[in-house]
Parts: sequence; C-alpha cells; structure tokens
Amino acid sequence: MAESTQMEVETATQTAPLPAKPTFKPLKAHEMSDGKVQFRKISVPPNRYSPLKKAWLDIYTPIYDQMKVDIRMNLKARKVELKTRADTPDISNLQKSADFVHAFMLGFDIPDAISLLRMDELYVESFEIKDVKTLKGEHLSRAIGRLSGKGGKTKFAIENSTKTRIVIADTRIHILGAFTNIKVARSSLCSLIMGSPAGKVYSKLRSVSARLNE
Amino acid sequence: MAIVKDSGFEALEKLKSTEPPVFLAPSSKSEEARAASQHLFEKLKPYNPKSPFDELLVDGFDAEQIWQQIDMQSQPLLSSLRQEVNRFAKNPEEIRKLGNLTLKVSQKDDVDEMDMDGSESGDDELEANESEGEEEEDEEDEDEDGDEDEEEKNGDNEGIEDEFFKIKELEEFLEDGEAEEYGIDYKNKKGVAKKKKQNLRDDDDEEDDEEDEDDEFGAFAGGDDEEADKLGKAKYTDFFGGKKKETKVKWKDLSEDEAEFENDQGDVKLSTHEKERVKLQSKIEQMEKANLDPKHWTMQGEITAAKRPKNSALEVDLDFEHNARPAPVITEEVTASLEDLIKSRIIEARFDDVQRAPSMPTKAKREAKEMDESKSKKGLAEVYEDEYVRTANPAFAPTTFSDELKKEASMLFKNLCLKLDALSHFHFTPKPVIEEMSIQTNVPAIAMEEVAPVAVSDATMLAPEEIFSGKGDIKDESELTQEERKRRRAKKKRKFKAESAKEPVKKARDATTGSEGL
Repeated sequence: MAESTQMEVETATQTAPLPAKPTFKPLKAHEMSDGKVQFRKISVPPNRYSPLKKAWLDIYTPIYDQMKVDIRMNLKARKVELKTRADTPDISNLQKSADFVHAFMLGFDIPDAISLLRMDELYVESFEIKDVKTLKGEHLSRAIGRLSGKGGKTKFAIENSTKTRIVIADTRIHILGAFTNIKVARSSLCSLIMGSPAGKVYSKLRSVSARLNE
Repeated sequence: MAIVKDSGFEALEKLKSTEPPVFLAPSSKSEEARAASQHLFEKLKPYNPKSPFDELLVDGFDAEQIWQQIDMQSQPLLSSLRQEVNRFAKNPEEIRKLGNLTLKVSQKDDVDEMDMDGSESGDDELEANESEGEEEEDEEDEDEDGDEDEEEKNGDNEGIEDEFFKIKELEEFLEDGEAEEYGIDYKNKKGVAKKKKQNLRDDDDEEDDEEDEDDEFGAFAGGDDEEADKLGKAKYTDFFGGKKKETKVKWKDLSEDEAEFENDQGDVKLSTHEKERVKLQSKIEQMEKANLDPKHWTMQGEITAAKRPKNSALEVDLDFEHNARPAPVITEEVTASLEDLIKSRIIEARFDDVQRAPSMPTKAKREAKEMDESKSKKGLAEVYEDEYVRTANPAFAPTTFSDELKKEASMLFKNLCLKLDALSHFHFTPKPVIEEMSIQTNVPAIAMEEVAPVAVSDATMLAPEEIFSGKGDIKDESELTQEERKRRRAKKKRKFKAESAKEPVKKARDATTGSEGL
C-alpha cells in the first residue's frame, strides 16, 4: 500500500511539466527604469564657456551620431543636458557621454576626452595640492611651477611616459588615463609637489614607464 | 735398625724426662736430641715420598742445618697431611678403612706419632701434629656415628628400595648436589669448619676474609653433636687472639722485624733494600704532598693574567699559532737578491704593471623610449589606438619615431656605401633602384649616365621653353619705367576683378564664415 502511494507521488510530479524559462531581450536604455527617459546634466564652469562654444560641434557629433544620445545646451542654466533616445542601445552610452562632457569641462582637450567614449578602462582622477602638502603663498606658486616645468615640459614628459593626460588648474590637478597609469602619474606629481627636483622624477619615471609599457 | 730405633726411642724418652731449663744452655743433651730427631725423621720418612733426605744428617752439622733438613721434610708432609684431611672430610668411609688398617697393622707407629712431644724440631710442627691427631680422632668418631645412622636408614626403606634404587644413595646424591651448589657447608658442616680454619691459619694476610668467614661459621657451625660443639667453640680468637689485637700485633711484628734487623746489623748502616725503601718512602711523600698542594698555574687550564704571578708568562715557553707571517729578517743576502731581481726585471722590461680590468661586455641596450618633453601631437585616444593596432595587426601599424630614425640611418649608410664602391671600379654595382617618385633633376644627361667625375659642361636636360616661357623683353623690377609700372598694375587689377567675379557665387553658400570683403 505504501509503495503504491509513493508511486503515485512520483508520477504526479512527473506529469506536471515545469514552465519554460522565460527569455527576455536585453532592455534598451530607453526602457530602463520602467520606460522613463534618463537625463544627465553637466554644469559648465565660466572659464570653459567660450571653449565649449568653439568646440561644440566636435562634442555634439560623436555623442549624437555614435553614442545615440540626445545632447543640448541649456544656456539659461549654463548646463549641458543629455537624454536617452529611443534607439540608445546601452545605458552605458549615456554615462560615457556624460563623462566625456565632464572631462571637457575639467579642461581636457577634445581628442583626449574622446578616448573616454572609445575606451572603458579610462578614468579621471582629481586631487588638490593641499591634499598632498600644505603650501601657502610663494611655496604654492613654486610648487605649481615645478609641476608644469619650463614651457610645460615636465608635465608633457609625465604625460608621454605614462600615457595619461594631466590638467593643472590652479591648485587642482586632474589626471585622465588607465588606472595604473594614473597611479604612476600621481606619484610623480606628488613627489614634485613634495619638492623633489625634476631630474629625479624623470629617472624614476623612466624606469617605471619602461616596466609599464612592457 | 731395631737398635737404632731403640736408641732413638731411648733418646726421646730421655729428652722427655729432662727439665726444660736444661734446654736453654748448650749441654750434653744435644747428642740425645740429635738421636731423637733422627729417629723421628726416619719414622716420618715413609709418609713423605718427596723428601730429598733418606736420613737426617746430624754429624758435623749446625743446629741451623739440622733444622733446615727437618723443615724441608716436614713442609711437604704438612701439605700432604692437609690434603688427606680434606679427602677424609669429603669421604668419611675412607677414614674408617684407613683407621682400621692402621689400627690393626701398625698400632705402635701411630702411638709413637701421636705421642710426639718436646723435641727440637719446633713447636709449630708439634702443635700441627697434635691438632691433626685430634682431628683424626674426631673424624673417626664422626664416621662411626655416621655409619650407625646409615644402618638405621637402610632398615626403614625396605619396601621401596630395589637393587637399582636405594634411598640412601639418592640422599647422598642430593647432598652432593647441594654441596656443589652451596659449598661443602651443607653436607659436612664440621669438616668444612675444620678445613677453613686450617686455611685461615695458613693465610695470615687475608684478615677481611677471615672475619667474613667467622660470621659464616657462626651461622653454620652450631650442631647438636658434641664434636660440633667442640669445633664450634674453637673460635677465631683461639687462633689469632682477638681481631684488634691482631692488627696491632701485625704492625708490631713489622716494626719489631725492622727493629730486629737494625739491632742485628747496627744502627747507622741500612741494607740496600732498606735504603731503597727509605728513598721510595720519601719519594712517595713528596708526590703525595705535590698532589695535595694547589697546582702550578700552567696546569690550571684557562688562566687570566690576574691569576698568575707577574711576568710569569715570560718564564714559561708558550707555544701558540701565529697567524701572521713573521717579519723577514733583512740581511745582506736578502738585499742583494732583491737588487738582482730588480736589475733583471729592468733589463727584460717586464714590469708588473696594474692592468685595467676588462669592462663587462656591454649588453645591447634596451630600446629606451625617449622622454618626449613636448606636447604630444596625438590625442590620448589615438595613442591607445596605435597601441591596439600594433598589437592586433603589426603590418598596418604606423611607423614610430624610432622606426623613422632607423630608416633615415639606413638610407644614409646606403648612400655612403655606394660612393665608396664607385671609388673602386673593379666591381661595378649600379645605383640601387629606390621606388620613389621620379625626381627630375635639372642635371645634364651625361652626368646621370657617367659615374666618373664630369668636367665643367652645363648642358641642361630641360627644354628652353620649360625653363622659361615668356614673351618679349624681360625687365627687372628696378629697370622698369613709371609707365611700365602703371601698365603692370592696371593689368593686375583687371585680372583680379575677373577672378573675384567668379568667386562670390561660391561664397554665398558658406553661411558660417564671415566673408572677407574685398
């Protein structure tokens, strides 16, 4: 009798087939967050206003055509606004575009900022000189001078050897590049702020970059 | 023989009867004594087959000499008697046999032997003989008792015993075994005691053993028999007169001996042995003293300077390893040899100059990326793009700065090689064909064809029209007159107007740029 009941249970489970696993198509950026449209708003600092006007088309074309994200300039609020379109393939496009515009606002050139659109692994890191060392007055000016070098050669040297782009905006420093490259560039900049001569930084940079580029 | 015997016996009898004080002074008794001793000697002779003397030689001999003879006979006799006693101790039956035989055959002789006393032969021998006689008696009595016991035992066990198995023999066998295992003590306590006591008497030196054996005797010897009691009462003290006294006696004996020696041979003179002994003693004392004293500092192991007397290390010949070579002693010869060496070296010009060590073989320096200190012309994206292309498709990768430098260098070298080859005409190699845009140089054909240096002629390849296509007089700016300048200017204006008439059509399309007005 017991066996027969067991048998019944097994057959019962077998007779009711499991429902098929549902397969969904990947969500479009537009449909994400329940079909609402997503926005990004990037404010424009006053010093970047005229460069923005000059390079507007260079910003607009890749975002609109390749990223498939709507972009407009809100003159009243002094903001660049981004919006997903119906045919935006991936939500990351919006974020990438936002990062690209933000990088431009920080002071990077268009060809450098464009790399953010094209590559995933690039980041922007910012820090202030006072984070590294408290400097005041002339010391601060000298530190900034040390960072740039004569005609910017120190800065370019760092940029070329570490494959990064550096923007020194008064006391703020922004670095654009891959994670490890950012680290190397940051360490060399910090050593410059702390007071080491450029030659020393070069030699260190040479060895590190050689290892990096292998 | 009988006469002699009788005379000897008579002599003995006479000696017995004499008063003891008579022996102290030399008297006529000596002849009698000699005769008596001869008689005794003969009597003992048959029991002593080893003795060298057949009879005691008395005539014309010293008392010493006679005594020596007797001693020589009696010593082995004593040992043989001892052996006999031991044998009897083991086998009581034999005593019975012997006793019976002797009693029957030669009673007289035994009596004579047993009744020995008062002769010059010595007290020790007499005592030994007396004690031996006593012991023999005791042993005989014991054997009689033993025999009685044995007879009783046989009567009881008739039922078990066989012609093969006898309980008496079994018991004897067991007793033998036990005796072997534990010593003869178990079997015959009394016999053992006697034997051991005899051994003790002989070995004067082993006092410790004697004391231990005395204890053993206390344990074992304590039988119910009368004989056992007799022997048991015969204690150590009887023989040696007390343990403590013994040692003192011994030392006293030694000193007495020494004193006797000295007294015998004078106070000052010592025998060679004694002298040696004295020397040895002094030596021994010295050595002992040295051992007791603290050691010399050289023998004390590790010593610091504080522990040894001042400047004592100078006196001792110390031996230790020198790590440094000792300084060479400069003699005439040494200097002469050095100078010769110097001269010869100068003549040969073989100086041991220090040569610069060869530097390490230079590795091919890794292609060090030059530190570019100018703003990079490519954007960051382009940099990564180039990198990607290089890794993905090496063929399509654009040339790097180093590549270009390499190219330039290779070009320069090829040119140089060509020129050098031209100088040596033997093997003519034409100029390598470089696929470039053909360069029309305004050089005469003869210069192109011939490699050898050419003379002065300047015939050009280009046609005159190609050189200059123009009409009329050609005048320089400075040569022109005013009218001609005006004419030129007017011409220019006309041309420009004609061109500007075409352009506004184009410029209308372009809305962003501000038109540059005319």
